[in-house]
Amino acid sequence: MKARAPLAVALALLLLPLGFMDLRTYLTLTVAGLAMGMLIFLVAAGLTLIFGLMDVLNFAHGALFSWGAYAGFAVAALLNGRWGWAASPSVAANALLLAAAIVVAMAVTVVLGVLLERIIVRPVYGQHLFQILITLGASIVLEELIRILWGPNDQVMPVPATIQGSWDVADVVVLRVPVVAIGLGLAIYAGMQLLLNRTRIGLIVRAGVENGEMIQVMGHNIHRYFTGVFAAGSALAGVGGLMWAIFSQSVRPGMGGEQLIFAFIVVIIGGLGSVTGSLVGALMVGLSYNYVAYLVPKAAIGVTMALMVIVLLLRPTGLYGTAK
Amino acid sequence: MAGASLLEVDDLHTYIGQHHILQGVSLRIRPDAVTVLLGRNGAGKTTTMRTIMGVLHPTRGAVRFDGRPIHHLPPYEIARLGIGYVPEGQGIFGTLTVDENLRVAALAEDAPSGRRLERILDLFPDLDRFRHARAGTLSGGQKQMLSIARAFVNPNRLLLIDEPSKGLAPIIVEHLIDALRAMKQHATVLLVEQNFAMASALGDDFYLIDDGRTVRHGSMASLAADHELKKKYLGI
Amino acid sequence: MTPPALTPVQAKRLEARRHRLQDPTLHLRLGVLLAFVLAPVIVPSFQVTDLLLKVALFATLVASYDVVIGYTGIVSFGHAMFFGFGAYAVALSLGKWGAPTYGHLLAGFGAGIVVSAVVAVLIGAFSLRVKALFFAMITLAFAEFALILAVQLSTVTGGEDGLSPKLPGVFAAAFDGGRLLGIPLTGRLITYYALLAVCVALFLLMSRFVHSPLGRTLQAIRDNELRAEALGYRTFVFQIISSSFASVVATVLGGGYAMWVRYVNPESTLGIPIMLDVLLMVIIGGIGTLYGGIIGAALLLAARTLLPDLRGLSASLFPGWEIVGRLSDRWLLYFGILFILVVFFFPKGVLGTIRERLSRRPPGRTP
Repeated sequence: MKARAPLAVALALLLLPLGFMDLRTYLTLTVAGLAMGMLIFLVAAGLTLIFGLMDVLNFAHGALFSWGAYAGFAVAALLNGRWGWAASPSVAANALLLAAAIVVAMAVTVVLGVLLERIIVRPVYGQHLFQILITLGASIVLEELIRILWGPNDQVMPVPATIQGSWDVADVVVLRVPVVAIGLGLAIYAGMQLLLNRTRIGLIVRAGVENGEMIQVMGHNIHRYFTGVFAAGSALAGVGGLMWAIFSQSVRPGMGGEQLIFAFIVVIIGGLGSVTGSLVGALMVGLSYNYVAYLVPKAAIGVTMALMVIVLLLRPTGLYGTAK
Repeated sequence: MAGASLLEVDDLHTYIGQHHILQGVSLRIRPDAVTVLLGRNGAGKTTTMRTIMGVLHPTRGAVRFDGRPIHHLPPYEIARLGIGYVPEGQGIFGTLTVDENLRVAALAEDAPSGRRLERILDLFPDLDRFRHARAGTLSGGQKQMLSIARAFVNPNRLLLIDEPSKGLAPIIVEHLIDALRAMKQHATVLLVEQNFAMASALGDDFYLIDDGRTVRHGSMASLAADHELKKKYLGI
Repeated sequence: MTPPALTPVQAKRLEARRHRLQDPTLHLRLGVLLAFVLAPVIVPSFQVTDLLLKVALFATLVASYDVVIGYTGIVSFGHAMFFGFGAYAVALSLGKWGAPTYGHLLAGFGAGIVVSAVVAVLIGAFSLRVKALFFAMITLAFAEFALILAVQLSTVTGGEDGLSPKLPGVFAAAFDGGRLLGIPLTGRLITYYALLAVCVALFLLMSRFVHSPLGRTLQAIRDNELRAEALGYRTFVFQIISSSFASVVATVLGGGYAMWVRYVNPESTLGIPIMLDVLLMVIIGGIGTLYGGIIGAALLLAARTLLPDLRGLSASLFPGWEIVGRLSDRWLLYFGILFILVVFFFPKGVLGTIRERLSRRPPGRTP
């Protein structure tokens, strides 16, 4: 039923750019596009679950992205400054640095997420306009705090030496960082699917996404799950931010806001509440953006918008969304 | 109606927005019987159910289950006290499978629940057959069966069932009546039903609601004979 | 022959109209209007005049947003975009086709209105059928897109640097119309009054719209969409009409803004900052009050002009404390905190809270 025919169309479109560029460029762009898609997926996945389950439009999600990046940056800069773990060619040191950065990024964003949910979101639960306004206000505050703590300028992100550079695969230059990002994204997707489809918590969350009132009437306290989902979504955004920092080798206070609009578009394309929808949508956006940016730089964002419009025309609730 | 009531509703007033929907509903549901809520469209039957279930909060009046006031409790706590709800429109999780729908309803994953589940699947062979199909692909009648089955997964002492025959073909309604008759022996039921044939086939007692108020109550048998009453309040 | 009796609805409406005219706040509003009219004469400071007109423009903009959010009940982030359309339309028409004339000015407004109406109807037709939150996101996406377009199509729009239009005829900066009653008639002054008149006209238009049968239908839809549908109203059509109307009003205001400030760039007219300002103003003033926009705009803009002074004050009070310097520089931080606090403690806004308090008192006079 779902996306059989559109999938075929999508695949055809995927191969279309080959007509405009040589294979090598195509492969490089594809890898870059998939990587960008994966990173957007991380942000969009949390966003879509929070929307789907809690009916909350979380503007602060972009700020969590930024905070994850900066928290990871702080750790990486510390470890690299003290012991040179990023510059070092040792895989162990690099891995430790990366692991530490990820853990800290997640920890910080989980704490922020829980605070946000308890203090900011819960009081206005059910009133959409106020939710939007208050999370907007929170995102402004969070972004400004970054500027106060770390200054308003771009800063260079220490990238572990072993994932810099590229591999030479059959005469094609394949950058390492994007591949790592893709791997991480797939791993997280697989983890989420497992959690959602094989555990009882996942079952309740999925049911709650579809019908929040019904799940409560069946004896489950959905508010407890709210905080959990919000925290998980925040952690995802944080990891996404960290990976983006590594990907672009820099951190910027406004980085979250810039990616948030992509995440919104992906959630619209993929459908509210669907993690798979976010993945598919994110990959579509990432790929199309990269192909078009290479061919006609100024049309890149236009193509993303056009994609959104086309999907909405064909399926108003998004590719994998359920009409509520 | 002698004996302690399982559920008592006292002078319930509920607003939806500015609309004063329930203007004094009072019920006494006796255990091990089927009580039917009758009334016209918009009389407030579904609102009564939703208020009992905690989805709506009354501004006045009380609801007591087994003597214990529940009208200020959130829905999930009311459900855990042993009240099952089969809403209008079934409330099926379409994206979940039939099996998952039943599992998410189960509040305790233990042997008795497992046995109850098996018994339900015996009563509803269709559900067994489509156990791993997406619930959204079921027919209307099957969805209704699933919705009722879900309410039986837990050892609920009271079942609130809202318009189960709505939108179903007559033959399906027949099956429904048979199934509910079989389950009648295991639970107390508060049933909202517009289909008078079904109501009288299953019901022991009735309450008549008009304009948000309880206007009459009695035994189903007495109502069946009272043509005046039926015409006045039910238009039949 | 006795005249036909009024239907209950007609009688009620007649009474409401009579009631409105006797409304004590009418005097208050006239007073405010008088202040706006007389101020440039009494206080010939440009800063004051500038602030006042900006308040007028934004108050009307906020009121138009209130029509969408408060009266129709739709959460949209595209409103600033329509404001930007108007600003750019006027700026473009006054710059790119030779020396500016009145014709250019009118054409600019006209083009802006047409574009906005079309876009508003399209976006509405396209997205109003989806869930409310979805719609909010879609409008946000479109607004961002418009912003990026404005920056990228720099040959037409001047990119990030923007456009600096010159005004024609009596509105021109260099215009000197002599003196009237001892007051020098400069281009600035004439522009001020022209734009003020436009704002007042638009305000009255919106007020009529909201109190009209159409407006009441919209409020019914806002309060209970299902019931309105059941009653036979095609809610979808009404929502499109209402949001398109409000968008066109915003466009005209954008054109006015371009005329006054004479500088249009993406950040100041199309971007998130404008949208945030409008949001905060509508909340402070009160959603669903229409006139609350005046209070919201006045408070926020006045605070903004006073803040730089505060920064200087804090610098002199705590010299050498860099963190204080950093903290006071980050006015956006306070903006955000203010946002949150207002939503928490003051969700009905100034006018909304006042109206609620008043309606709770027992009726003072008999109708």
